[in-house]
Amino acid sequence: MLESLYIPFAALLFPGGLFALALGLTLKGFDRRLAARLQARVGPPLAQPIYDLVKLARKRTMVPDIANEPVFLGAPLVGAVSMALAAALVPIPGFYTPDPVLGDLLVLLYLLTVPAIVLMIAGSASGSPFGAIGFSREMAMMLAYEGPLVLVVAAVAMRTGMGMGGWISFSLTDIIAYQQTHGAFLLDPVMWPALLAFLAFYPANLGIIPFDIPEAETEVLEGPLLEYSGPALGLFKIMSALKAVVVLGLGVALFYPIAPEGAAGLLVQVAKMVLLMLIGVTVVRVSYGRMRIDQAFRFFLKWPLALSVISLAFVALV
Amino acid sequence: MNYVKTLIRNLIRGPSTVAYPFGPAWTPVHFRGRVEFKLSSCTACRACEQVCAPGAIRFDKTPEGLRFMLWHNTCVFCGLCEYYCPTDAIRQTDDWHMAHATANQYQMAIREVIPYVSCSACGTKALASAPNPVGVIPPFSAEEIEQQRNLCPGCRKTALAERGVTK
Amino acid sequence: MTTLIQTLSNRVRNMASRSPWIYRINAGSCNGCDVECATTALIPRYDVERLGCQYCGSPRHADIVLITGPLTARVKDAVMRVYAEVPEPKVTVAVGVCPISGGIFRDGYAVHAPIDQHLPVDVNVPGCPPRPQAIIEGIAQAIAIWRERL
Repeated sequence: MLESLYIPFAALLFPGGLFALALGLTLKGFDRRLAARLQARVGPPLAQPIYDLVKLARKRTMVPDIANEPVFLGAPLVGAVSMALAAALVPIPGFYTPDPVLGDLLVLLYLLTVPAIVLMIAGSASGSPFGAIGFSREMAMMLAYEGPLVLVVAAVAMRTGMGMGGWISFSLTDIIAYQQTHGAFLLDPVMWPALLAFLAFYPANLGIIPFDIPEAETEVLEGPLLEYSGPALGLFKIMSALKAVVVLGLGVALFYPIAPEGAAGLLVQVAKMVLLMLIGVTVVRVSYGRMRIDQAFRFFLKWPLALSVISLAFVALV
Repeated sequence: MNYVKTLIRNLIRGPSTVAYPFGPAWTPVHFRGRVEFKLSSCTACRACEQVCAPGAIRFDKTPEGLRFMLWHNTCVFCGLCEYYCPTDAIRQTDDWHMAHATANQYQMAIREVIPYVSCSACGTKALASAPNPVGVIPPFSAEEIEQQRNLCPGCRKTALAERGVTK
Repeated sequence: MTTLIQTLSNRVRNMASRSPWIYRINAGSCNGCDVECATTALIPRYDVERLGCQYCGSPRHADIVLITGPLTARVKDAVMRVYAEVPEPKVTVAVGVCPISGGIFRDGYAVHAPIDQHLPVDVNVPGCPPRPQAIIEGIAQAIAIWRERL
């Protein structure tokens, strides 16, 4: 009985769902506060993302005449649910280990592509030309950043697998256990290229400057999100908040999962995620302008790809 | 790497935001804001109506006198009326708190009537000239000015001709 | 019980009213007012984000609509269509004297000013252009109106 309740509980309440949503909204609040501070502004209150969600819940949802209504309204729901599930897959070192029933790193990688795909579907279902432009840009960005991401994850998995006497291990539990005994990959020079490549992946996956090209407000009027309003838009906001938690948690698990046991582990995890958010997202987004899609594509096929290949080679040779 | 320096400076120094609307705001010294009209200085020369580019100033004849009207919602704060007003009856203040609900938009106006007086000599209706125009010093004594003010333009012409020039 | 529900709904409404998203419509403006509107968000000195505001690119996300310009004959249909795309509840702010009365273009053959004969306007911010703080003042008044409509 308890076994069968585990998956809904994990996906809806504790590491996924509500908890991850609260954490994600707080992270976004921190992000906006610090971005404002770095730009010498005061910025919105910390709870601003929550206010935004409450506001969106009270607005009317408009569906364009030419939109495919079930797909148009279903897409954000699929995105939010998949990210809630993905959040249940991310371990909190020392506090929570996902049950192997849910899946491993590979499932997480697949789930991480869902938001991008959902945005593409939403953009094309809305019937708006800006949505179509957003679709093609999202596709190009996804092709650009997924390759390096997979190679980085493979490098980490290989390092763990070879360290444990096998060949490759896609179990996040193994990766964390290996680092807790052999030292974090953050301090391992062999893994530094992979770490750099992973940092470049953050802004692209979270859709922020300099890689917010698919949702560029000033160019394609928020692209796929253009036609959304009210609760449907709120679901997209929930999706992006959950996605921030997932990728930040993934980063912590892959590179620095050293944490004390028990409730302190949870606090340390939150602190690490806030720090990673500030370094990997906020500072980047206030210091660069938006790239063009061809520049971003070329950038990803040049630096992160090269770095992740180098890292993979290091891992295989050392 | 200049932007890194800027970021660090901002992080340490904190925001440079003005507290408004939660606190006071700073207004520049020569800010050209809401126009102010001083009825007692107006001589009804209508120069302001002539130069007003968006047509915010209008003069109307009413039974009581000449009505001066200025709608702030058309005024573009160019300052021509202040510049051309010979008696400083129109002045620009530095007040910029002019946002208002649309329901009140027609209250955002100056409506003043420059009254008619009847001429003390012939009894016809004439505009009362301003009692204290700024920057004009007529070569008359105070009682004489008061006498002249109550005459219509025709009677005043006659009276001045009869009076002659005094040193 | 009813009072509890009332306080709760009031609390929720207050929370919602702290997140007004702003959308700008340029109805044939000379761009002066648009620059001042952008200034309220982009220049640290004014920072409209303190009120929870955010300039959004899509009319569908908007709560407060800032209209600039005297509604030229050429742009009129487009403005009406974009305005209809903004979901309820919404509040309209006319920025600058052009949409309020026509300003310098009043009674011109190419403009359809004042704009309030074509769509409902709630707050006027006169000026040519109004200074950024005046726009923030207008937005603050618009938020007060919007809270009642939520």
